[in-house]
Formats: sequence, structure tokens, C-alpha cells
Amino acid sequence: MALTLRDSLHLVVEPKNLDASVEEVFGLMLGERPRRLAAAGDDRTGQDLESVTAVVGFGGVLSGACVFRSSTAVAIRIAAQMTGMHFDAVDETVQDAIGEVCNMLAGAWKGKVPDLAARCGLSVPAVISGRDYRLHVQSPEFQLVHAYRFQEGIFHVTIICDRFQ
Amino acid sequence: MSEVRALIVDDSSVMRKIVERALRQAGLESLVVHEAGSGTEGLDLLRGQQVDLILSDINMPSMDGLEFLRQIRLQNLAQGTPVVMITTESSEEHVRQAIQAGARGYIRKPFTAEQVKERVLPLVSTKS
Repeated sequence: MALTLRDSLHLVVEPKNLDASVEEVFGLMLGERPRRLAAAGDDRTGQDLESVTAVVGFGGVLSGACVFRSSTAVAIRIAAQMTGMHFDAVDETVQDAIGEVCNMLAGAWKGKVPDLAARCGLSVPAVISGRDYRLHVQSPEFQLVHAYRFQEGIFHVTIICDRFQ
Repeated sequence: MSEVRALIVDDSSVMRKIVERALRQAGLESLVVHEAGSGTEGLDLLRGQQVDLILSDINMPSMDGLEFLRQIRLQNLAQGTPVVMITTESSEEHVRQAIQAGARGYIRKPFTAEQVKERVLPLVSTKS
């Protein structure tokens, strides 16, 4: 009998795979090792309600998304470190950099599970920035929500799975 | 090494700059870079420009990297020019598809300058 992705579910939901993906992407692209925080609480404060969110969709044997979210200050620091450029605000280059970080996180995460690596595709990244927006996902099969400390700030990475075969 | 003309195809301008930086760190100091934001733009550029090396992403809107590679061959553009795919897709199947379409190398994102050096320099060393 052919195995389905449900047979690899223990690998798909393994939290360490997401941590390893974050370590890989930030280690290789930024020379940083973000530290996972015990609780994935909301880091937004009154002074920094603006945030940047990047979404890369999964399609194929698993449908869902990888979502990266940080304050604008953290997004700017990540983009500056990636590109060697200086940014005063979130512009197209910062959004592009954060979209690529999310893209690499999604690719690294699905690469940890052989069935996903081969049979799950990635969308191009979509990036939203601003304040007073919420990303709502209706009853996912499962989700991983991890928060990481990056220098003096925090970013969140969420893996959402709507359905798998 | 003599001047190397490289075409970098990626919908992300940040990634194009990072790939360029990695090529320079790999030792390609006399590098002339042409950039394209999609496979379609890449094909247009190849119609008017000779290059020694092509590096292309796979996941791109409008025309993905594999189709770009197929079109290069179909339209007899950049004959003999090595193409290296740089992508987040890392499965054996993706590598097989890329090689089948004519890629000479495959680098997975995220990458190090050392990986770029190992996989790209041998492909352009005949120019030295």
C-alpha cells in the first residue's frame, strides 16, 4: 500500500525541523543564530505596531503556508544585514528581503521531510506591511508558531497546514 | 581570470545582489553582471547579449526557471553557456528536472559563497 503524507505526520509536525530551518537560513544568509523563545507571545508594543508579514504558500501533498512576521524595526535590521544596505523605513527592498527570508524558510522546512521536499511546491512570496491587520486562518489541521529573538527584537515563524493527502 | 559576463535571473532584486556578491567573493572579480527579474526578461536579454554564465532561480512568476531553461534551448540562445539553478527547491526530483532541462549545476538557497565557488568556478574556468 502506498504511504501518504499522513504516515510522515510525526516528521511534518516536529518542531525541531522549524528551529533547524531558522538556524540554517539565518546562519548562512545573515551569520546569526536566532534563539527560540519559550512562548510565542505578541511582541508588538504601542510604539511599534507596524509590522511586516511575508507569506509563502505550500501546494501539492500539503496545502498551507509559511508565515514570517516581525516588527518593522526587526525587518529593517534583517534586510540591512542581508544586503549591506541602510534603510530608514520599510521599502520595496526590505519587503523583497523579508519575502526571500520567508521563501528560504519554507524551502528549508519542507526539505526536512523527504515526502514534502519532492511533492510540495512553493508559491512566490507575498509581503504585507503596515498596522491594524490580522492574518486569519480557518481551522488549520495543525500549525506551528515559534518566536525567535533576533538581536534586540523578536520575529515569529508560523507553519500552517490546511490539508494534507 | 578574464572578464566573465553573468546573467542573474531572479524575481528578487535582493537575491540578485546576494548572488552577485557571492560570485565576486568566489573570485570572479572581473565580473559584468546582467540582471533579469523573470525568465521572459532573461530571454529578451539573451537575444541581444552574449554571456558566459547564467544563474537562475526556479520559482518565479510569469515564466519559471525550468521553462526559461527549456526556452533557451528551444530558441538556440546562449549555446554552450553553462546554466546553474539557484533555488529553495532541493528535492532530487527538482534537481533531475533541472539537469534534464539543461542545467549544469544546482545550488540550494540558502547558500554560502564557498558553495557558489565550488559549483560555479569550474564552469567558467575555461575562460582563464
